[in-house]
Amino acid sequence: MLTEEKPNSLIANHEQLRGLLGTYGPASLQCLRDDALERYMRAGVPTTRDEEFKYTPLADLRDIDFRPSYGSIVHRKDLLNTPVGEIEAITLAFVNGEYAPEISTEGVLPDGAVFCTLREAMETHEEIVLKHLGKVHQLKGKLGTTNDERFRDLNTAYLSEGAFLYVPKNVALEHLVHVLYVSRADHGPFAAYPRTLVVLEEGSEAKILESYVGLGGRYFTNAVTELSVHKNAHLEHTRFQAEDLEAIHIGLVAADQETDSVLTSNNAMFGGKVARLDSNFWVGGQNAETWLNGAYVGTGDQIVDNHTRIDHAVPNCNSFEVYKGIIGGEATGVFNGKIFVYEDAQKTDAKQTNQAILLSPTAQLNTKPQLEIFADDVKCTHGATVGQLREDARFYLRSRGIPKPEADALLVYAFAAEVLEKISIKSVRDALERVLYEKLNPGQRPPGE
Amino acid sequence: MLEIRNLHASVEDKEILKGLDLKVGKGEVHAVMGPNGSGKSTLASVLAGRGGYEVSKGSVEFDGHDLLDLDPEERAAEGVFMAFQYPVEIPGVTNSYFLRAALNAVRRHHNQPEMPPMQFLKMVKEKAKLLELDPEFLSRGVNEGFSGGEKKRNEIFQMAVLEPTLGILDETDSGLDIDALRVVSAGVNALRSADRSFLVITHYQRLLNYIVPDFVHVLVEGRIVKSGGKELALELEEKGYGWIEEELASKR
Repeated sequence: MLTEEKPNSLIANHEQLRGLLGTYGPASLQCLRDDALERYMRAGVPTTRDEEFKYTPLADLRDIDFRPSYGSIVHRKDLLNTPVGEIEAITLAFVNGEYAPEISTEGVLPDGAVFCTLREAMETHEEIVLKHLGKVHQLKGKLGTTNDERFRDLNTAYLSEGAFLYVPKNVALEHLVHVLYVSRADHGPFAAYPRTLVVLEEGSEAKILESYVGLGGRYFTNAVTELSVHKNAHLEHTRFQAEDLEAIHIGLVAADQETDSVLTSNNAMFGGKVARLDSNFWVGGQNAETWLNGAYVGTGDQIVDNHTRIDHAVPNCNSFEVYKGIIGGEATGVFNGKIFVYEDAQKTDAKQTNQAILLSPTAQLNTKPQLEIFADDVKCTHGATVGQLREDARFYLRSRGIPKPEADALLVYAFAAEVLEKISIKSVRDALERVLYEKLNPGQRPPGE
Repeated sequence: MLEIRNLHASVEDKEILKGLDLKVGKGEVHAVMGPNGSGKSTLASVLAGRGGYEVSKGSVEFDGHDLLDLDPEERAAEGVFMAFQYPVEIPGVTNSYFLRAALNAVRRHHNQPEMPPMQFLKMVKEKAKLLELDPEFLSRGVNEGFSGGEKKRNEIFQMAVLEPTLGILDETDSGLDIDALRVVSAGVNALRSADRSFLVITHYQRLLNYIVPDFVHVLVEGRIVKSGGKELALELEEKGYGWIEEELASKR
């Protein structure tokens, strides 16, 4: 659908930046950008009439005048009070989309492994970058009648800076690597388009944390992450979104999985005025395993929208998905979980669970499991519950002396903490549990500390 | 310290307790035995304040308080502790987090300062030893993935931490093997003191070999129909509950 309104700032900025963008990477990238922009312009800012954005109003993207992203100075001490302040990792940090070496942390990686900015990678590892960048699990030509990748296109139109992780064959990363995108809009609204590319070669292993931390102001983050998990590689990808409550965050995690690979995706969505994440996983090799653990919290008037999609294209693969949401105040939660089982994908075992708790009568949740199965010998289950707290657990806590309001707060916390506990890195798990607790109990520290 | 008078209670309009009287003095251990469906667990639940139970008549006085007028957390803060027959699993809340929240809530209720974290840790580790619990369990979710025996040990462990004045054991022996029964009983016995009373609710006499009561009461059809010393439990073990029911019938 062609929009007839005047071009909004997201498109207008591109004209201004096109020349500069062209200086990043080889000429072929400029074609990629131009094609993507053209597709985005055809689609435009979605409205609630667009099936994939039914519950997620994005008029702000049209109405607010977002400037191209500009620099802001963030010191190491500014990070100490953020949720990621105490996480030990080799960190590649970006401020408002620009690489920020002063708050990054170096570390030693095994031979051949690379963790650097996308700009640097285009110089040193051009071939690997071009082989994967923009090519990981695109929805075009795949099953589904409402495939919508306009925000992937928008990000690609601005393709420039970002992070690159490469782990060569049979190499295991010992340390956590952390891609940190910090945003601070101290000179008016801006739009940033971070891009993350992760390539795990055959038999390799890595754990990566990708976090989005807001330090104030109104801005738009349009992030795309591509995960290419080759044969028998193991990746744990934890994505932590704690944008400012004025910000709009629209992200995509696209993954390709080959034979015998294991991909664990942990997704914690806490921030943003409007936050949306699409997690699209292409399971393209046999005996692959996919784990999706999601926790999302909306308070005030936040809109928190998670769309997940697993394409089981080949036989004998398992996927396990658990998403838990807590929605309070006048917030809106959205969960859409698609599972496509292709005709060839016999013996697929896919389990999907989405549970949510509503904390107030004005909180809303729209949940939609969507299983489309074209093979006949598969095991697919889904369950969605929207409910109250468990009465037996509440009584148990109260019978030990914990007053009802405190007991309820503890149970709400526990509900989502159960998902965060699946994160295998303790410092990350602890940090996220603390954020969860403080978001649910403003101004309080967890009693366990 | 606990006086129950003419207690009538029902669940979903079905009357279960039909005029129960029971008096427990300071430091005493009372066993309440009875056949299935006699109202044992209802009694425990009503005393602890579980929802869904309607008290239509009678009173329960505890240390000068009208117990039935208190919320479950107030009862706990005043010193009532029920060891659950079916302890609840709460994944996402660790045992230590839970216990510390409970202990500090009780302390706040009595206008005492919260216990400093290090002191708390030292104290719980000592008490865990008493119940032969690996301290590692403190960082696990509350009862999460615990075996039946571990859950019951955790109940008594919590009691040891919270130091109530009245401990109610609701069929704590159910589902326990002999080793777990021994550990749990030793834990309870270690907590016996002149200031702490116990109400041991059980179907079987077996538990009473380990936790020797001062008094034994027989609960049948919602009322205490017979009371005696610890030898009454042995008699029940030998003859079953039938003879008491017959005795009752002949009196009618």
